[in-house]
Amino acid sequence: MKKWLKITLFVLFGGILILIGVIGYGYYHYWGRFTADTATYPPSVEYIDPEKALYGKGFKACNENSIAQYYNPERATYSKGKNGLRKFIMSNYINKGYSDSGYLNIRFVINCKGAAGRYIIHENTLDLEPTELDKDMTNQLFALTRQLKDWNPVFFRGKNRDAYMYLSYRIENGEIVAILP
Amino acid sequence: MERSLRYCLNCLCAAVVFSCSENSSDLSSEERRALATQVFSEGSHLPQGSAKSMTRIARAIEIDSTYAEALREHSVAYLKRGMPHKWKPWFDKAVYHDPQTWQPWRGYLYLWFYRDYKKAIADFNASDTLTPYIDYPQGHSVDYWRGIAYLGLKDYQNSIAFFNKHILKETADSGEDWVEINAFLYRGIAYMQAGDSIKALENYDKVIHYFKKSADAKYWKARMIQHTGEKEKTLALANQAKEDFKEGYFNNRPYVETLFQLYPEDFEVLITSINE
Repeated sequence: MKKWLKITLFVLFGGILILIGVIGYGYYHYWGRFTADTATYPPSVEYIDPEKALYGKGFKACNENSIAQYYNPERATYSKGKNGLRKFIMSNYINKGYSDSGYLNIRFVINCKGAAGRYIIHENTLDLEPTELDKDMTNQLFALTRQLKDWNPVFFRGKNRDAYMYLSYRIENGEIVAILP
Repeated sequence: MERSLRYCLNCLCAAVVFSCSENSSDLSSEERRALATQVFSEGSHLPQGSAKSMTRIARAIEIDSTYAEALREHSVAYLKRGMPHKWKPWFDKAVYHDPQTWQPWRGYLYLWFYRDYKKAIADFNASDTLTPYIDYPQGHSVDYWRGIAYLGLKDYQNSIAFFNKHILKETADSGEDWVEINAFLYRGIAYMQAGDSIKALENYDKVIHYFKKSADAKYWKARMIQHTGEKEKTLALANQAKEDFKEGYFNNRPYVETLFQLYPEDFEVLITSINE
C-alpha cells in the first residue's frame, strides 16, 4: 500500500476515534453519568400509566416517547377557550347538596390530534392533603371533564404534539369557586 | 510529567469526593452542604421532572436534608403538573429550613396555583417579620401580591391599600414610570369593583399613559365609559383594546390563568354591546 494512502487512512481512523471519544464523553457528561430511579419517578413525575388510567385503553398518543407539558408554547387549550370551558362546566354542574371542600384535580393526556384520554384523579383537601371527596360530586365533575372532547394540542418545533394536561377544580361547600390552570 | 501528576491528583480528589458521597454522614454540615450543592448543581440542565433530574435532587437531599433549594426544586414539577399533594410536603420542608426565602414564595404559589388567597396572605404577612426588608418573590413585592390576593378575596379596601403602599414605594425608589403596569391595572379594577369609577379611570389612564398599548386597561376603561353616551369614543377604545390584544399586549401568566384574564371573545362581546 502506498505511503500516502496509509497516512490518510491512519489520519481518518484516528479522527473518527477522536470524534467518537468526544461525542461519547459529551453524552456521558451531559446525560449518561446521571442515574435514574425509575421505580420512584417512572419515567417522569407526571407519567400516566395507560393500564392504570381511566379510559386509557384505546387512547393513542402520537409519540409515546415524547409527551410534552400543556404549558409548552403554544400551550394546549380547550377548543372553545377558557371561557367556553368554564361556561360548559359551570352551566352543567349541579350541586346536589354537596358540602365537601377541596381540590379535585383531573390529569390526562391530549394527543397531537386534540383528543383527550388517560385520565387520573387526585382528590385533596383545601390544605392539599389526600382525601376522598363526595363520590357523586367527583363522578359528576369527571363525567363533565370527559365531555370536553376537542382540544388544541400543544404546538412547538413546527408540529402538534402530545401533552399532559390537568384541570383543577377548587370546591368550597360543593360549589366550584375556581377552575385552574 | 507535571501534567500527569496533576491528572493523578485530580483522579485522587474525585475518588475522595466519591467515597465521601458514599458515606456523607461522616461529613461536617458544611461539607455535606458543599457535596449536596455539587450533586444538585451538576444536574441542573436535566429536564425538570424527569427521572434523572428527580433522582439527582433526591440524592442531594439525602446528603443534606436541610438543603432548602433542593427541597423546593423537588416540589416544582409536581406543582406545575397538577399534583398538589406531592408538591406541598416538599415545599413545606423548604419553608421549614429556610423560611426567609421560601415562605413569601409559598404565598405566591398559593395565590396563583391554588387561588388560596388567605393562605397566600398569611405567608406574605409572615415575611414582614421574617426579614427586615420587603420581600420580592418572583420579582414583585409582597405588598403587590397582597394587593392581588385581597382583590381575589373581594376585599377591595385592603387591596387598594396594599397597591397604594407598593406604588408609593416603587415611585419613591425608581419613579412612577418604573412601577409594574399591573399594579395600576389591578388597583383600577379594585376601585371599579368598589364602585369608585373616577379612581378606576385614573388608574386605567395611568396604564395607557405609561405603556400606550394595554388591552386590559383599554377594555376596562371602555366598559366603564360605555354608558356615558360617548359611543364613538368607547367603540374606538374597545377596538384599540382588541388590536392591543392581538399584538400580545395583555395581562397573562405562564402556567396558570391570571386574575381578571381577558380572552378574544371578551372584546367581541364588548364591541357588540357598544353597537347595540
